[in-house]
Amino acid sequence: MIFMHKNNNKGQMEMIGLVIIVILITLGMLFFTLLAVKESPEKKIFTRKGLAYSTMSAVMKTTVIPEENCVAGSAVSLELGKDILEDCALNAGSYRRDDPSNCGFGCQYHCRGLHSCAFFNQKIEELLQASLGRWNKRYSFTSQLLIPGSDRSLSLAEIKGRGGCSSSQDKDSSGLFPIQAGDAGLVENVLFLCD
Amino acid sequence: MKKDRMETPPLRKRGQLHITETIAVLFIFFVLVFFGLLFYSKYQKISLAEKQEELLGERAMETTLKTLFLPELGCSKGEAEQEDNCIDLMKLEAAQKTFSEHINDYYFGIFSYANITVQELYPDSARSWTLYDKLKTKTLEDGTVVKDWERKEPTYFVVTLRDESQGRVQYRFGYIVVEVYS
Repeated sequence: MIFMHKNNNKGQMEMIGLVIIVILITLGMLFFTLLAVKESPEKKIFTRKGLAYSTMSAVMKTTVIPEENCVAGSAVSLELGKDILEDCALNAGSYRRDDPSNCGFGCQYHCRGLHSCAFFNQKIEELLQASLGRWNKRYSFTSQLLIPGSDRSLSLAEIKGRGGCSSSQDKDSSGLFPIQAGDAGLVENVLFLCD
Repeated sequence: MKKDRMETPPLRKRGQLHITETIAVLFIFFVLVFFGLLFYSKYQKISLAEKQEELLGERAMETTLKTLFLPELGCSKGEAEQEDNCIDLMKLEAAQKTFSEHINDYYFGIFSYANITVQELYPDSARSWTLYDKLKTKTLEDGTVVKDWERKEPTYFVVTLRDESQGRVQYRFGYIVVEVYS
């Protein structure tokens, strides 16, 4: 009887020991998993935000060369984010995506024989594809004209690279790049960058 | 007497049982310790590689920022503040010579082992300037020079290239690529 009781006690002790070992191993694994999962994404975000901002400011500042034939017979250099965008905003009403060369009578510039909005879209797409696209970045560029005295806005450009950025993805923006387009109103440009 | 013998095993056998049990427990214990050490060393190895990669990325970023804010390259006008993300083409062409002349005595202290290239994309995508190129190499016993780096981390930044060579200000579109080695 005493022997059986002793054996029982020993079994219980062993069980407790085993449980403690299992708990310790589980805690250890949990600790390592937590350490492994913990990342420091600050640098990545900083790089992405910096790249989005620098790309946007460079695109807007870029000078369109006279070879694009924006003004017939004149060797004038125009700024993409100022002259072309302003002309696009002022003549946004006559812009048809299915007929990009149609400029009505209002367009001041006819780069590549296109409506300013069509040229703006084409040029931005080319520049972004040559830089961000080459580095396999996903991006989304939008340009919107805020119509003065109303809540409405008109989309002037919408360019997506590699499918653009979905709402579930981590993304960073260049920040709003507002440009006053004469009497047409304010044009808000933004570039989203995601990995 | 006979009954007693059946219930309690002889003392020698009990001792043997205890020894076997202890050996089994110790064996399991050491197996667990071994697996723990194995797991820990693997984890350490991976985290060390990750840390190295992170440090290299940080260095790439620092080098890019240093390059972007170099007064030898930045677009300035008199005493006005330097333009953001802009490289002056005239300065860039002059800096190429200065960089190559003072690569060891001055610029190596700033950029260490790196390669800095400026590439124009619009209007002329064929133009590029290698501003700084310092590869980490080692010389073997037979005199051949081989690369002495395992990893390289490129960082890209889009910039405008200000060109005033034609009498008027023109902004070209390009990027700067900074590669650092470890």
